[in-house]
Amino acid sequence: MSSPQTIQSRGDLLKLLCEAAELEHGIACSYLYAGFSLKRDISEGGMTWDEQQKVRRWAAQIYFVASQEMLHLALVWNLTTAIGGTPYYLRPNFPQDSKYYPLHARLALEPFGLKSLRRFILYERPQNLSPQRELKRLLAFEGEDAEEIEFGSIGELYALIESGFRNLDEKDLFIGSPTQQITSEMIHFQEMVPVTDRLSAIKAIETITEQGEGISQDRDDSHFGAFVAIFKELLDCKEHGSNFSPARPAMLNPSAGRERGYGADSNPIEDPLASQVAGLFDSAYSLMLRMLAWSFEFDAVQARDQVKHFCGVAIDFMPRVLLPMGEGLMLMPAGEKFPGKTAGPGFGLTRHVMLPPDAKNALLLCKERLQELAEIAARIASNHVPDPVKRGCAHLQQISKTF
Amino acid sequence: MKRDFDVVIVGSGVAGAMVAYRLAKAGASVLILESGIKNPSRSKMVGDYVTAIANPGKSLHSPFINAEADINAPSPDVSLGYYDQPTSSDPHATFKSTYERRTGGSTWHWLGHTPRLLRSDFRMKSTFRGKDLPADVVDWPISYDDLEPWYCDAEHEMGVAGSHDEWKDLFNSPRSKPFPMSMIWPSFSDIWITDRIDGREFEGIKYKVRSTPSARNSQLYDGRPPCAGNSICVPICPIGAKYDASVHVGKAVAAGALLWEQCVVSKVDKEADGSVHNVHFITYGHSARSVTADIVVIAANAIETPKLLLMSGVANSSGRVGWYLMDHLSKSTFGIVPERLFPFRGPPSTSGIESFRDGDFRKSRAGFRVSLNNDGWSRKGAPYSEIIDLVGNQKKIGAELQQALFDRVSRQVRLSCSVEVSPDAKNRVELSGTTDALGLQHPKITFAPSDYSYAGLAQATKTLGNMFSLIGATEVDLGADPKAYDGAGHIMGTCRMGDDPKASVVDAQLRSHDHRNLFIVGGSVFPTVGSPNPTLTIAALALRAAHDISTQLGTKERSQGHA
Repeated sequence: MSSPQTIQSRGDLLKLLCEAAELEHGIACSYLYAGFSLKRDISEGGMTWDEQQKVRRWAAQIYFVASQEMLHLALVWNLTTAIGGTPYYLRPNFPQDSKYYPLHARLALEPFGLKSLRRFILYERPQNLSPQRELKRLLAFEGEDAEEIEFGSIGELYALIESGFRNLDEKDLFIGSPTQQITSEMIHFQEMVPVTDRLSAIKAIETITEQGEGISQDRDDSHFGAFVAIFKELLDCKEHGSNFSPARPAMLNPSAGRERGYGADSNPIEDPLASQVAGLFDSAYSLMLRMLAWSFEFDAVQARDQVKHFCGVAIDFMPRVLLPMGEGLMLMPAGEKFPGKTAGPGFGLTRHVMLPPDAKNALLLCKERLQELAEIAARIASNHVPDPVKRGCAHLQQISKTF
Repeated sequence: MKRDFDVVIVGSGVAGAMVAYRLAKAGASVLILESGIKNPSRSKMVGDYVTAIANPGKSLHSPFINAEADINAPSPDVSLGYYDQPTSSDPHATFKSTYERRTGGSTWHWLGHTPRLLRSDFRMKSTFRGKDLPADVVDWPISYDDLEPWYCDAEHEMGVAGSHDEWKDLFNSPRSKPFPMSMIWPSFSDIWITDRIDGREFEGIKYKVRSTPSARNSQLYDGRPPCAGNSICVPICPIGAKYDASVHVGKAVAAGALLWEQCVVSKVDKEADGSVHNVHFITYGHSARSVTADIVVIAANAIETPKLLLMSGVANSSGRVGWYLMDHLSKSTFGIVPERLFPFRGPPSTSGIESFRDGDFRKSRAGFRVSLNNDGWSRKGAPYSEIIDLVGNQKKIGAELQQALFDRVSRQVRLSCSVEVSPDAKNRVELSGTTDALGLQHPKITFAPSDYSYAGLAQATKTLGNMFSLIGATEVDLGADPKAYDGAGHIMGTCRMGDDPKASVVDAQLRSHDHRNLFIVGGSVFPTVGSPNPTLTIAALALRAAHDISTQLGTKERSQGHA
């Protein structure tokens, strides 16, 4: 992709792994945004009972794919630390245009719909696309730029990474401590692969490529196959004249506020309360990432219990804090500048310090930060906010209390 | 002589659907005759379930009631009195399990668990021979090793999620292939309980909690989505993440099989040369018709199959059709634990304990499985019963009620067991004197568990009591009546598989001893049942039978699971 075509050094490989981490991370956020936007109940309007059942199925698929992207990020971190790097969790804020990565597809926060699905299909396109797919014909709609369909696949990136692991001298390459590797014992991802040598590195890469993007063969059960199937179903509904409206009218590429300086060309939420909720979401998201990165960075033998604790709390954050807050934001108004639109989480990464190597200090920093966030959550929950936001705030306070 | 079809299959449950798919794919002309109605869409059935309380024609637990089908193809699931069960002095002598008569059969509302039989389950008589082993216990004519490749095949076809490492050599019953997808992750409750009991012993047997294999997607598989934890697997998965036989009915039809619904098979004719070709059926419009086929496959479950054979007077030179009816004895026990475990999320059960399924003790009492469940006290009416108690007796309202309800319901645990039932010649399906709307006889059922099975139930209850003690539970309810049990919905026996034509109905290939072109598939052919849920074994046997039928037909059936 943006790196040399042959991997000559550890530095080359680490650079590619950072690029993979960024992509997995950004794509997961993009999927989550679309998942949050799906309506939950018929009372939200725009769908019949039958259509709601479709939405439930789509939500299951999208959240599952997003969870696999998170697993992929974790595997990339294991690959990185195995060769002496540190887990890379930064990424550019949304949106990024199609030139930023050689995917030739935008990275954006966009509600569920044909346009967002189209992007997802492009992200996940296999290297060897079955000709029967007629992908160009399928995706060329509403005057979209046809050239956008010509793009480099993530599969190429992983093929390059794999070549590095195959070509560089194995004895010199794997300098990370084996006990630093995160396993399923430590974090609730079933398919975690501890990377200690060439064979396990290739197994980790195969796990990533088999499941989703970058898979060499076109398969219905891949991420790509699932998105194509959803796209066709939605297209079919539209072509049959249905008024089906499966998604909440969430704004594009929100950010919690202009002053936060996200650096990207986002749309700051105008509604003050929604902006506060989005800010809390970002802070919780950032803390979760830092706890995960700390867990992957330091040797588990020396702080096994704390690593397990941090991983547990970070994973707990996802369904109990980020999911309800993200969904709840999409029930809040975006502000006057965005008539008819609802807000959304910006997944903003703002300035922060990384957690220190010292386990005791890292624990203290997390505890203090959690307390601060719990207080903000309590203040927000005392306002008239949608139920999911209230739930997320309550869970955040519970987690802080028992941390 | 040219007949209408190569194969006619009676019944479209998991066994019939698998056979139909494999044979149609191999190029055979296949007709499936199904007594039930054409299924409405899944979303319509889920809607029926959701609105069941408001709809006088439905009951809360069955989205499957249909007036027309219930008259013309009645089933015990919805028609009280369908079973003709003689009254007995023993209050426990009642057959309690039911089934669906519809396309896809009872897999619509099955739990989805797919453990395998153990090596010893196929060799009960020779392994546990002795004075205390019930007299009607026999060995299967096939071994675990014979069926093992077909187990792998069935797991692939159904899409079974499981942990190969945990199950790769359970009681000397090795697995030759990994599951097609990784396990359904244990619930929070499973993990909490595991931390407190794993490795502990009860009466010399160690507890070992394992993730229960289930035909429920843990990933995108076969065009179906992963489980999203909707928690209503029983009675119906709203998104099709849990396997049901409509998957293979669809595949069979796509491969060219014909599916005729609302066709209730009434009789299979025996020809002068001992073969069977002519299958009679009655439509809901009371029109009597028939079709002919080179091979006839009966796949109508362990009650409807013997009923049809008895009505037809075929396959019964042994006189054993309908004998050895079996189920598993199921029992739920309840407790309140000190910490919140948050039940009512995810599949109703995700982990279990296999440690008590096998051992020398089976010489004198039955083995059993234990399930850890995620459905709180719903079997005792929770959360509604709790609300009634908190409001009616404890006079709680508002936030106080909400907190009390949360505190109690989130700490409810149900542990359950499934106990092996031994075959007994007295437990039978026969023909009743009463008939249904089409003039077909109801099944007359006689069933009482043996002392061997009751001894297993008693031991299982003691074990569950010990588990509750290990997890610090209070308000433990093990049931007042030690002999009380529920049906497990695992209807088996009645057309025993065996080598001796005088003592069994079908041979090891599931071919009738009496008619070389009549095959019987389904739980009816089990000679003994062990303690696992039977559906995977039913599917594996069906795939194996499809291979043999294909050989007999001369088609080129190819199994995806075999080189």
